[in-house]
Amino acid sequence: MNVIDPRIHQALDGELAPEAIPVELRRAVAQIAAAADLLAAPPPPRGPAASLESRVMAEIRRPAPSRAWRLIRWLVTPRAIILRVRPGWSVAFAAVVAALTLFTAGDEGPELAEHEGIAQFVGRFPEAQSVHVVGTFNDWRPGSIALEDHDHDGVWRATVVLPAGTYEYMFVVDGERWVPDHLAERLVADDFGRENSIVIVRPARR
Amino acid sequence: MKRWVVPALAVFLALPLAAQSVRGRLEGRIPSAAIPAVDSLIQFASQEGLPTDPLIQKALEGGAKHVPGPRIVAAVQVSLSQLRDARDLLVRAGDPPPVLPAEMTTVAWALRRGLAAPLVERVVAALARPPRAAAMHAVADLVAHRFDPDSAAQLIIEAVHDGVPRERLLEVSTAALQQVQRGHTRAEALAIVRGQLPNLPASARPPRGNVAGARRPASPAP
Repeated sequence: MNVIDPRIHQALDGELAPEAIPVELRRAVAQIAAAADLLAAPPPPRGPAASLESRVMAEIRRPAPSRAWRLIRWLVTPRAIILRVRPGWSVAFAAVVAALTLFTAGDEGPELAEHEGIAQFVGRFPEAQSVHVVGTFNDWRPGSIALEDHDHDGVWRATVVLPAGTYEYMFVVDGERWVPDHLAERLVADDFGRENSIVIVRPARR
Repeated sequence: MKRWVVPALAVFLALPLAAQSVRGRLEGRIPSAAIPAVDSLIQFASQEGLPTDPLIQKALEGGAKHVPGPRIVAAVQVSLSQLRDARDLLVRAGDPPPVLPAEMTTVAWALRRGLAAPLVERVVAALARPPRAAAMHAVADLVAHRFDPDSAAQLIIEAVHDGVPRERLLEVSTAALQQVQRGHTRAEALAIVRGQLPNLPASARPPRGNVAGARRPASPAP
């Protein structure tokens, strides 16, 4: 605790003349006396109220800013956003986002290697229950590559990644009927009395 | 140990293993009575340095199509003959030895697609190995659409010499077909395309990278 020199008290009370105290104490006495005068002074007149009114009126009279300017000001003005998060909902939201990402990634298909290309098989079999493509690319193994008819219009399709090369193939409809691809531009005798279709797969990356 | 012993031992051990793996691919896929005959044809091909996979594929194809065993054996025999013809043709055309299995397969393809042996020989003699397979298919495409075989072969050979990359050789034949569809005669179509070389109309490029909805066939089970 600071102890005030008693001579300051005496000087403030008028018991000591200012000349009777040292110069540094005299300065302190002067500061304290000034502070006391300030506190004792009456409150300032109500002039600022009038000033505020005039400022408000001036603001009202000022022409309204354009819509674009208001939009810009709205965009650049910093705003506080309060986000209340329920952990349960956050986890569910994250799970949905992850599932969507995985689903979309799966739909993109496999990444093609240097010497791979795409073979698209399309056939119209309106009455078919199943269509498969079988050929030298899958050792003529029935059932390994199924064509799909998602919209049930009788047009069956499959998009297959294969190493670049030339392949013979046929469609197998309903597991028993062997049919050449009538849309194929190239056919070759299969040495069993029928014709195979030919697909030439070009590398996707040249 | 003499130097030749190790390679000879490797061949001695590898041949039965290869034969076993061929039998493994055939068993359950073709009538069992046909397996010994097919297997021996495949061994002949292997000993002669011919590609064996086309023979295996032909046998598997016959089995998948429920063809009787004797017809499967006959078809494999025909395929073996085609591969021998292809090898002889390549040698005649001056293909530098050793004759590669891929080249034999390419020439066998061309013969199966109906190109005459002298025409195939001419293409082989005129072109180096890398663009040959694509060139053969381009010529075969034109011949299949009743273009004059010699003129068709000449156009494709010129396309290669003019710098058309092998990936675009099939587009040369497509361009000629498009000219016919526009009402030109086949001779006119070939002349028009020849005049445009090495430029070709823009074609749909095969897709790159990921392909939506595409899938790989499951690896063939042994």
